[in-house]
Amino acid sequence: MSHPAHVVVAPLLVALLTAVTTLLARSFPRLQRGLSVLGGVGYAAAVAALAAAVTGDADGYIVYALSGWDAPFGIVLVADALSAFFLIIAAIVGVAALVFSVGYLDRETAALSYHSLFHFMLVGVTGALLTGDLFNLFVWFEVMLMASYVLVVYYSGPEHTRAALHYTVLNLLGGAVMLLAVGGLYAVTGTLNMADMAHRLAEGAVDPAPVLGLSALLFTVFALKAGIVPFQFWVPDAYRAAPAPVTAVLAGVVKKVGIYAIVRVYFTVLSAGEVALDLPFVAGDSYLAFFGPVMFAMAVGSILLGGVGAVNQPDMDGLLAYSSIGQIGFIVLPLAVAATAPYGGSLMTFAITAALVYSLNHGLAKGLLFLSSGVTRRAVGSTDFADLGGLSERDPAFAGAFFLGVLALIGIPPLSGFFGKFLVFDTGVRAGSTPVLALALVGAVFTVAYFSRAWNRTFWGDPVEYDPQPRLVAVLAVLAVGLVVVGVGFEPVVAGAEAAAEAAVNRSGYVDAVLEVGA
Amino acid sequence: MQPSPVALLVALALPFLGAAAAPLVYRLVGERTAYFAAAVAAVTFLLLAGEYGAALAADPASSGLTYRWVPTLGVSLTLYLDGLALLVGFLASGVGVLVFTYSGGYMHGEPGQAKYYATLLAFMGSMVGVALAADLVALFVFWELTSVTSFVLIGHYQRSDSGRYAARKSMLITVAGGLFMLVGFLMLAFVSGQSAELARTFTLVGTPESLIANAEAVRTALEANGLLVPAIALVAIGAMAKSAQVPFHIWLPNAMEAPTPVSAFLHSATMVKAGVYLVGRTRPLLLPEAAVPEWTLLVATVGLVSMTITAILAVGATDIKELLAYSTASHLGLIIAGYGLANEFGAETGAFHILNHAVFKAALFMVAGIIAHEAGTRYIHDLGGLRRDLPITAGITAIATLGMAGVPPFNGFYSKELLFEATYEVAAHEGGLFWLFPAVAVFGSVFTFLYSVRFLMLFFGERPEGLHAHRPPLPMLAPPLLLAGIAAFIGLGGVAGAFGAEVPLVGGFLAAVVNSSALHALDHGFVYAVPTKLSPYFVMSLLTIGLGTVAYPFYDRLHHAVRRARALPATSPNWYYDRSLSVTNGLSVATGRVVHNGVFRRYAYTVLAAICALALGGYAAASVTFPGFEGLAVSVPLVVVLVTAVLGAVAVSRAPSHVAGVLTLSILGLMVAIFFVLSDAPDLALTQLVIETLVLVIFLLVLDKLPSWYGDLAGGRVAADAGLATAVGATVFVTVLVTTGASPPEPIAGFFVETAPVPEEHGLWILEQGGGSNIVNVVLVDFRAFDTLGEISVVAMAALSVLTLIGMRGRGEAETNTVAEPEIEAVADGAVPGGPEHADESGTTPGSRGDADGGETA
Repeated sequence: MSHPAHVVVAPLLVALLTAVTTLLARSFPRLQRGLSVLGGVGYAAAVAALAAAVTGDADGYIVYALSGWDAPFGIVLVADALSAFFLIIAAIVGVAALVFSVGYLDRETAALSYHSLFHFMLVGVTGALLTGDLFNLFVWFEVMLMASYVLVVYYSGPEHTRAALHYTVLNLLGGAVMLLAVGGLYAVTGTLNMADMAHRLAEGAVDPAPVLGLSALLFTVFALKAGIVPFQFWVPDAYRAAPAPVTAVLAGVVKKVGIYAIVRVYFTVLSAGEVALDLPFVAGDSYLAFFGPVMFAMAVGSILLGGVGAVNQPDMDGLLAYSSIGQIGFIVLPLAVAATAPYGGSLMTFAITAALVYSLNHGLAKGLLFLSSGVTRRAVGSTDFADLGGLSERDPAFAGAFFLGVLALIGIPPLSGFFGKFLVFDTGVRAGSTPVLALALVGAVFTVAYFSRAWNRTFWGDPVEYDPQPRLVAVLAVLAVGLVVVGVGFEPVVAGAEAAAEAAVNRSGYVDAVLEVGA
Repeated sequence: MQPSPVALLVALALPFLGAAAAPLVYRLVGERTAYFAAAVAAVTFLLLAGEYGAALAADPASSGLTYRWVPTLGVSLTLYLDGLALLVGFLASGVGVLVFTYSGGYMHGEPGQAKYYATLLAFMGSMVGVALAADLVALFVFWELTSVTSFVLIGHYQRSDSGRYAARKSMLITVAGGLFMLVGFLMLAFVSGQSAELARTFTLVGTPESLIANAEAVRTALEANGLLVPAIALVAIGAMAKSAQVPFHIWLPNAMEAPTPVSAFLHSATMVKAGVYLVGRTRPLLLPEAAVPEWTLLVATVGLVSMTITAILAVGATDIKELLAYSTASHLGLIIAGYGLANEFGAETGAFHILNHAVFKAALFMVAGIIAHEAGTRYIHDLGGLRRDLPITAGITAIATLGMAGVPPFNGFYSKELLFEATYEVAAHEGGLFWLFPAVAVFGSVFTFLYSVRFLMLFFGERPEGLHAHRPPLPMLAPPLLLAGIAAFIGLGGVAGAFGAEVPLVGGFLAAVVNSSALHALDHGFVYAVPTKLSPYFVMSLLTIGLGTVAYPFYDRLHHAVRRARALPATSPNWYYDRSLSVTNGLSVATGRVVHNGVFRRYAYTVLAAICALALGGYAAASVTFPGFEGLAVSVPLVVVLVTAVLGAVAVSRAPSHVAGVLTLSILGLMVAIFFVLSDAPDLALTQLVIETLVLVIFLLVLDKLPSWYGDLAGGRVAADAGLATAVGATVFVTVLVTTGASPPEPIAGFFVETAPVPEEHGLWILEQGGGSNIVNVVLVDFRAFDTLGEISVVAMAALSVLTLIGMRGRGEAETNTVAEPEIEAVADGAVPGGPEHADESGTTPGSRGDADGGETA
């Protein structure tokens, strides 16, 4: 190892340290909350340092070999523009949700385990986004999920228990499948290091045929994490059950880890293998050609199910949950286009850029909206539309923040979401694909339909009793301003997303950066 | 010639700054915020007026001002001011001044004024942006902002159900239409990037590389990519949605829920003009040199059909604002039809009627506001003879309605005459079915005449009992009076024109407006006059007026006939709108019930089936071959162990009780352990035994809590379960088979085996470096210690989760009581003892949420 790239491991260590210290500080709730927020800020700072280091690096890769064991025998962390992009989403949404939690949750109750679990969840997210080892990815998924299981069941009422049970069992199934797939990939390729795996596949040293089935198996696990149809069953109940800030992170960050894993594993790593495909609707000789139609079908299902489902939900949490299913479809849709485009070409890079920008916008805006749902729950005592109304008269600042979040998801310029929609549409135009455009338009109309209803039911109409929550609304305001800033100052954002997309399809760069360390 | 960058930027920014300041201003000066806003609008107007000379001399290839916004995507903020942009800018700011002044009277004592003025100013800024933006993306930005501000303003009376319904409807239609338009814009940019002669650009006009400056090449590229008709259609959908053209006209009558100044401003003079503006702006780009191009077939047809249908609907209106709303849609149809026709009169129709319509319609909306305010009703049936109470208003109305009816020499006559001329030219040239164009134009205009006269008759005839109107305050009277004056001035210009005199300002300005949408610049100025001889189109005008006069006595019959036709679902677009919403609502509820019904078996079934389908599909697609196991020698003990395991598995499924099942299951586990022993894997065997024992103990501890009997299983379910189990088994089996058959070169395990101290000649590398000699141990605690760190965290969290679950039991319930919705509590209380598992297995108890989903269809 030529230089100690500790900056790569820093975010993970900060989160882990915070998780442990907040656990130790349980008896001192005030101290614990301080440590927790401090840890969150430290995490954001560490992510910022990492992103700066990646941007400043000549090759754009910083590889950190844990314990000094080089790849492929030890585990390496690899920071590039792609992981940095998702880490930034995690840091923004994570810190906002954390600060919100402090004002939102009952303090005595939260002291028990909440802060520790929240940071453990960030540990899992960070590890998954940074690791360069497939089995290690499984481990960080487990860490992330274990924390989320408990956070979903947090309130421990009957409906929370039920939702968490479904969520847990489905993800345990997913875990078993992942283990099967990772074990299979190890047996077939002889390695667990992702760069080494790409290298071996590209060299043609391994039998490529079984790898496709194994990667399909693995794909289902990532789709389950991302809540893509038909793996979305846990989403509505879990999102309703979890405390608002946890849902914000689940929808804003944890889902995106599934998307990250799809981009990283399929575009950077497994795209290396070539095998003649023999199925109707599937042509080509790369693994990606198989996943293109699969992802398109999943996007169709997600956008339609999420869109239709959200239109008439009786409560805000349910509406936002279905909306998340639909919006994840908007992220998968360009990925489907990317998968069928020539590898490393401009269309593939552009389509991935679209998916990344959409992920960022969804993370920010949906995080904001789920936190808004928390404000309603605190201020009115319910998120059922039947109990809501006229909040714009009661709290214009809250209404304004919510309105911006809604407009961002609808895709109104100049908010961040506009460019998300813009890039997805442009992907369809560039690909010359009428089905993609038609689906995107239908999904967009659904978005207008359900969010206009959410607004009408919550913020207009006869006002209900409202207990102002200025501290919580302040967090929303910061995120809302973020939506405007990202949209108006979009140039650096799109540049970052483009760099991330280029990193995602730069297989040789990734392989060289990781394996060079050992050379 | 380039306009002053500072003037344009300030004109664009000022309304937004004013909007930001409005709440503060309202706090300081109260209702006089209206005059603050009027002042902002006036300054904007003057700034634009200052660029009059530059606008008239604008050159599509060079007069744009470009500010880079997102260079990576080629998106810029290009501002361009020519005749058409100036006209729309004048309408936005000029009518803005009048509307804000009028609001000062109209909004007296109304709620939410700070929001009202802020939104209205933001709208005005957006509209100025639409006019000035010459970059497609920037245009879209302001376009959508007008839709959003319109949403807020239509929903101004936010407590009323109809206001919310109207706001949502307009949002759905205009924003969705905008998204279609965006796709059309992206197609334009795409083909500009595909063309060899062009560079990818979003700039519509104003730079040498802009689309309109290279219109010919862009059209060639569009046709080469087969995108000309899709691009026209998509852009047209955006324009139709915004300008309330059939079948998207349905939002406009509902939009009358907004306060009347908003209707006058957004829903007649400006926002709805955005669609028309877009058609006029893209006309030179998308209209090829042909007598009847695709553009005409699409755009002119839509315009004429909309003009006629909405004119008929206006006759069926019972409310004066509803009448004006349909009338607005009709006149926008007229403008679009004009722009749709390829000859020079078409462009003249569009340009002139934008101005004329804005003038007479804004005046009429203000009149409607006066009537509603001062007479207390908007029902046509209850109104009549108002001229005695409102003489000045009656005069205003006369000038405006006669212009609207197209009676010479009032202003609307000239532009309608141009439409007749344009349609007649096309028909005379093409013949055949194209005679429908002039015929439909006349037919539709007859209805325009009818409802215009009806509106005017509000002021004449008998005054109904008890109807009394107060004099309007000056702020409400002066603005429509000024507009009527302008209308009269334009009308008199035509009279003067008949004597060969040219009216100052109007002619030169309108020529510039026409040139913005014309294929070739006019070689003469814009002249109009009352006809002095009997041309075919003048005959058309006379025919319209004559037919209208003959039909007017039957107005009530027509009115009722239209109302009856409207009531039929099949001919009512509103029915389609409401129906599709309620169907979607029903589907939405069904999604909750059917897809997410709370029955876990269904979830697991679908997920597992999808996993199997994808994995097996992957194996099939790559045509995996199974490894041959030649000379596979299976020892007798192994056969015994495996057969016992299989028997144990079968026995589990037939076990009569939980305890028997668990005990039988441990036979299977034990056999797996023995299999590990026989395969020389003592570590694994030990682990397996420990887990087996623990699981058995834990099972026995909790079995007590489970119900002993779940009920009989239906045969179909057993078969489905068996099918799924087989699929899962097959997936795992194939996976294991193909992976164990693989023999990758140099697996990383080989490195560990080779460097471990077994046998001795390899040395002590691992021992020295890793501090251990057992490969598995060293890998776990050193090479892959990072994994172990994660796993330790998982175990720690598992412990923490137990702690949380126990700790939250008491507190969690308290939390639920204060927070969760009461009906969920009720359902949860009614749940069967035995918890969620029981409900899942029986499959008959719906999820608690499933119940809650049912109620709502609003």
